[in-house]
Amino acid sequence: MIRKFSYLILASAILLVANSARAQLVGFPDPHLLTTMPMGAQQGATVEVAITGQHLEDVTQLIFSDPKITAKPVIGENGKPVENKFVVSVSKDAPIGIHDARVISRLGVSSPRAFTVGTMKEIACTEPRDSKEKAAAISVNSITNAVMPKRAIDHYSFPAQKGKRYAIECAAVGIDSKLTPVVIVADAEGRDLLVNRTGGVIDFQPDADGTYMIKVNDLTYQGSDRHFYRLALQEVSADGLPPRHPSTAKVSAASWPPPGLSEKAKSQEVEPNDEADRAQKITLPCDIAGSFYPAADVDTFEFTAKKDEVWWVEVASERMGHATDPFVLVQGVMEKDGKKTLVDVAELYDIASPLKVSSNGYSYDGPPYDIGSPDVLGKVEIKEDGVYRLQVRDLFGGTRNEPSNEYRLVVRKEQPDFAIAAWAVHMTLRNGDRAAFSKPLALRTGDATVLEVLAIRRDGFAGDIDLKMEDLPKGVQATGLKIPAGKSVGHIVITADANAKPDFALASITGSAKIDGKMVTRPCRLATMEWPVKDAKQEIPAPRLVNSMPVSVSDSEAAPLSFFAAEEKVWEVTEGEKLTIPLKAVWREDFTGTSIKMKAHGVGFDRLAPFEFPLKAESYDVELDLATLKTKPGEYDLAFYGGGVAKYRYNPKGVARATAAKTKAESEAAAAAESAKKLTAEVTKAAPEKKAEAEAAAKAATEKQKLADAAKAEAEKHLAAVTKEAAPKDRVDILVSKPIRIVVKPKAEEAEKAVAQAAPKK
Amino acid sequence: MLSFLTSAKASMHPSRFLLGTVSTLSLLAPNFVFSEEDEELNFVHDVVPILTKAHCNSGACHAKADVGQRGFRLSLLGFEPQEDYEHIVKEAKGRRVFPNAPEQSLFLLKATNTVPHGGGNKLARGSEEYKTLVKWIGQGMPYADESDPELTAIELEPSRMTMAKKAKQQLKVTAKYSDGSERDVTELALYEANDKAMATAGEKGLVETSDLPGNVAVMVRYSGKVSVFSVSIPLGAPVENLPATSNFVDELVFQNLKEIGVPPSPVSDDATFLRRVTLDIAGRLPTIEEAAAFAADTNADKRDRVIDALLDSPDYADYFANKWATLLKNRRESKADITANFAFHSWVRDSLLANKPYDQFVREILAATGTIVENPPVAWYKRVKLPEQQLEDVAQLFLGVRMQCAQCHHHPFERWSQGDYYSLAAFFSQVGRKPTAIAGEDLIFHKRGTAQYVNKKTEQPVKPAGLGGPSLEVAPDDDPRLQLADWMAEESNPFFAKVLVNRYWKHFFKKGLVEPEDDLRDTNPPTNPELLDALAKHFIESDFDLKEAIRVIVSSKTYQLSAQPNEHNAVDHQNFSHFYPKRLQAEVLLDAVDCLTGATTSFADLPMGTRAVALPDNSYNSSAFLKVFGRPDAASVCECERVQSSSLAQSLHLMNSSEVKGKLATAGGRADRLAKSEEEDAKKIHEIYLAAFSRPPTGEELSIAESHINIPRTDSAGKPIAPATAKKMAYEDLLWAIMNTKEFLYNH
Repeated sequence: MIRKFSYLILASAILLVANSARAQLVGFPDPHLLTTMPMGAQQGATVEVAITGQHLEDVTQLIFSDPKITAKPVIGENGKPVENKFVVSVSKDAPIGIHDARVISRLGVSSPRAFTVGTMKEIACTEPRDSKEKAAAISVNSITNAVMPKRAIDHYSFPAQKGKRYAIECAAVGIDSKLTPVVIVADAEGRDLLVNRTGGVIDFQPDADGTYMIKVNDLTYQGSDRHFYRLALQEVSADGLPPRHPSTAKVSAASWPPPGLSEKAKSQEVEPNDEADRAQKITLPCDIAGSFYPAADVDTFEFTAKKDEVWWVEVASERMGHATDPFVLVQGVMEKDGKKTLVDVAELYDIASPLKVSSNGYSYDGPPYDIGSPDVLGKVEIKEDGVYRLQVRDLFGGTRNEPSNEYRLVVRKEQPDFAIAAWAVHMTLRNGDRAAFSKPLALRTGDATVLEVLAIRRDGFAGDIDLKMEDLPKGVQATGLKIPAGKSVGHIVITADANAKPDFALASITGSAKIDGKMVTRPCRLATMEWPVKDAKQEIPAPRLVNSMPVSVSDSEAAPLSFFAAEEKVWEVTEGEKLTIPLKAVWREDFTGTSIKMKAHGVGFDRLAPFEFPLKAESYDVELDLATLKTKPGEYDLAFYGGGVAKYRYNPKGVARATAAKTKAESEAAAAAESAKKLTAEVTKAAPEKKAEAEAAAKAATEKQKLADAAKAEAEKHLAAVTKEAAPKDRVDILVSKPIRIVVKPKAEEAEKAVAQAAPKK
Repeated sequence: MLSFLTSAKASMHPSRFLLGTVSTLSLLAPNFVFSEEDEELNFVHDVVPILTKAHCNSGACHAKADVGQRGFRLSLLGFEPQEDYEHIVKEAKGRRVFPNAPEQSLFLLKATNTVPHGGGNKLARGSEEYKTLVKWIGQGMPYADESDPELTAIELEPSRMTMAKKAKQQLKVTAKYSDGSERDVTELALYEANDKAMATAGEKGLVETSDLPGNVAVMVRYSGKVSVFSVSIPLGAPVENLPATSNFVDELVFQNLKEIGVPPSPVSDDATFLRRVTLDIAGRLPTIEEAAAFAADTNADKRDRVIDALLDSPDYADYFANKWATLLKNRRESKADITANFAFHSWVRDSLLANKPYDQFVREILAATGTIVENPPVAWYKRVKLPEQQLEDVAQLFLGVRMQCAQCHHHPFERWSQGDYYSLAAFFSQVGRKPTAIAGEDLIFHKRGTAQYVNKKTEQPVKPAGLGGPSLEVAPDDDPRLQLADWMAEESNPFFAKVLVNRYWKHFFKKGLVEPEDDLRDTNPPTNPELLDALAKHFIESDFDLKEAIRVIVSSKTYQLSAQPNEHNAVDHQNFSHFYPKRLQAEVLLDAVDCLTGATTSFADLPMGTRAVALPDNSYNSSAFLKVFGRPDAASVCECERVQSSSLAQSLHLMNSSEVKGKLATAGGRADRLAKSEEEDAKKIHEIYLAAFSRPPTGEELSIAESHINIPRTDSAGKPIAPATAKKMAYEDLLWAIMNTKEFLYNH
């Protein structure tokens, strides 16, 4: 049997581009949807939504991660679509919660923006409301969509009655906003009564009927159109926790829940269970819901277990969206001379990231995404029969009194499994580079892009995980480079044909593995950055999971450079021999320097010495000496990659279009001027009875001329802008070859031996 | 008398073996003869006190931390006699002492300045102390015998008394030993009065009072023991017609005033009270409407109602958050601190607004876990990083105990040792940190493990213990910081409530019952101990209700007394017989100037209209106004960081600065508005007085103001200025003049 390897490591590499001292932009532009206004809609509603974004031209569609939300462009009076405005229809049975909105534009599908579907009526508030005198009146059971200006406090007023209970929440962090909301409930004069600055709900029960005020501001009074929020005001029942506005999921949530876990826990934690002698008796396996409440809460459970049993303990709380840090301690209750003593059996802390994440969070010596979690996943090995106690506590819970900090505790027999999440590879392109971009899967023709796929392995599962990406647009292929046994990182290389036509599809990634003799397939979640961040020291990148995986290819631009093997085939070589791969390049932009330093990545080939691919060279023969590389027989995928600085021109086709538009505008303006001149001249010649008519015609022509002049000025301005954008600028990015498959055959004698061994003995 | 011990046993010290030889040789020594009958001296009891009295082991001399002075090191005030013995007798190959010829010992030659000594002549040749040291060296430098009695206490005679003004009293200090023996150590003890304006204490224990009435304490130290001589100095004036008491505060203050014969001033008028209490609770001037409404209110309880309204207002929370955020070192050191600082300041402010019990407030800081945005008091751990800093700040801020000294040596005025210091540090030994995405910002969690900290002196780990409390066994899973918070909030805790009520008392009265307000110790007694106890008790019984602590203070008649002294009490500066006027704090003054002029100060990142008292951190101290009036930089837990003294720069700033001129001339400001208004001038002047002083102008003030407003104005060329411009200038002048009055600048 031929062993199959496919492994590519990209993320750990550090590319130091030669001319690092020069100012250069990081990454080729990707389309980003940045804001929608409003940021959500009620089930069954139809609303007009305005969008803004970056690198968006020719926006044709607004799409959502759920098909029950649809959008059409707003049609203007001229019968043409109004730029960046859509009418969004939410069906009555659209799922409540956060969906991803994206647009399709010249460069393809954009990065996502959260769009919430709810049950309450929604309003968009755009009036100034920065003082108590200007407070905007809002009604109970409504959601107000608004944008926070800088150095402002937004004021709202609402009627409330004694004896009723109101929940007030400002959704921001969980809907991709940059706002860190502060919500204050004040009396009618604006005097503060209750405050929340940590993203929670204000539970308001007024002492008297009257008008009350809600004030909203950013914690540090920042503001912009990116500081948007949804203020939810609703009357709630007298008991129970107030409902929460839905939130996007953190990357860590990709590993929760484990497959097959019921939505609701089988049992509940029962207080008091803080003290060891009041431990809640349980039997294993178990599935318990509890909460870290009140402050310094310790939940103690007691069970009996037998020697050699192995139990896996999983706690979710942070992955459920809470700011908690669960910790589990398991102790054996030993009795000696009638005295009970506790002996530590296991301390279970965090779910470690399989990759070393950025050590300080703002310069990338590791990925800026973290699939690990402060939650718990670990095993307990029982060494002798007896009674055991398991304590769950929140290491952040010493003084915090929040009943909403819930957790779920699962103790089970070994059930090997895995969860996977993927994201666009980020690498340090320059020493100290701190850029973090949300990278939509918007490919240019001839493009190649890489996703990093990470696995959280459960309950000791250590086998291979094969990766597959399907449902791609036409002209786009993906090669899954598996996560090898015992490792946690794999990759997917997505490439677009050079002649691909524009297309778009909702793709999916799965991981498959053989567990206990059965093939198991698990879906992969995709993660993105909420905002393009140029310098993570100034702005903390906010990664999250997305709800769908759209992939597009656009022919508006081609990739600045494509690398691929001269022949599309499986390359064969015998162990210990040499293989020469003619690597071809298509250069579509000028690059700086003299060559691009390339490396090979993939198990079996990562020891290949780096080579220099000369700039503008059409091909380069890469020699793989398997004797030096010591690559064993098997099937491999490898890719070559390097970092290059292109003289990138943004949307040069736009210049031609803008030039044509300008020419057209100029001729229209000239024609309008001519017409106005002519009609004005005719006024003097007109017979008295026709004078008024001629004057009206001349006036209309003059107006038309003014409009035409304005259009001409606008066209000139637009041309200047796109010309400026299209001027070549240094942009550094990762350049990847199409994956190459290589089969390493055993040496002849080895092959004969293998055949002999495999043959049935006579 | 060579030995003061009245019943000390002559014991055989190891150095006796040497003495046989020495005594023979010593006969050769020309200047010193002693007989074998003389009792053997004891280094701890006989020698160290001499060194202390001569200031050899003061912090400025040979007890300078870690280095000593010119290679010779002694422990501070002789708290470590064994180390001192090593340094004197054995260090430098024993060259400091010469038993064969004791008077030729370098130790004595230096002390007497016979050979050049940087510290000069510290010991007169021939003095009793000198003779004792000579004898001790002659005896072969005995240390002490294990069976020697230990010093257990010092006793003062008298320890408490009433003294007349400009009177003298000799103290007698008796050392008491473990075997019941006693010794008069008056000449060897050290004396220090806590208020030198009221009394001085001479080297030999003679206390002399000045002409100020009140209570003063003289700290007496001898060989690591401290005691206090408490003096009450009555004025002796008749105390009659006391206001009716409002609560226990008045009872205890008036009781003291009666005892010392200082008659209180009468209760202040309504306008003064309203302005005073609004400035003190809300950090702002009363509005014109508030002043008018209060004047018109005829309810008997109107003062109590205004106190309640002020305590319920967000202005109270803003003002006191300003105080606490500074003490909690909410300091901007880099641009990226903004989120942490805004969050922490807001948390303090919201806690005060919600009237979170003080013990809970402190608990949430001490035992904070998580990230700053999720749990803002974690920010305290961003500024105060090491366990040593943490315990020192906590001790000073929340316990009123300054532990800094005890890190390196026994506290000179207190009972705290290095053991106490590191026991307190042990509470912070299990603070876990993990880096976050923000540079320099960690998240904080409880790190499972045994809470203990290594005592740097003994190099042994010590368990956590509250000051004066037993060592605690903290389970590895339990956060010891929560137990520290528990200990603080115990009813019997002698520090926690007292330091808070004293701090707040000072806020309102300018002077603490103990000064400095965060230095509570036996040797620094309160001027009115019963009052401090009663306030602390009341605070504990109210479940650490901060608003109640304020309410009981400001609703007292004591707080409401006039600032005008009567014929007797002007000299009083510590018995609260009248209100002591306070210069407005920098932030309050800036807000008051804005309020008076109708200007608005713009602060970076904050909405227009944000008051200076609501500024979250020290980054706003770039404002010349705030700087010159002493806004602190939040670098210390001491309130003394706020500079409340007056300076020429302050006067010049108010009189001449472009900032203040700009405020006076603000378009749409008060001067502009009043100049344009059709109202009669008297009404407008009335408005200005209400805004500035919460009272209407007197007839004289009104006529002066009116005449100033109506004098014709000319420009520098002598041409008449247009009436509208002239009017605005006139109102600017009036506001300027009022702003520069003491009545405006002070809370009185």
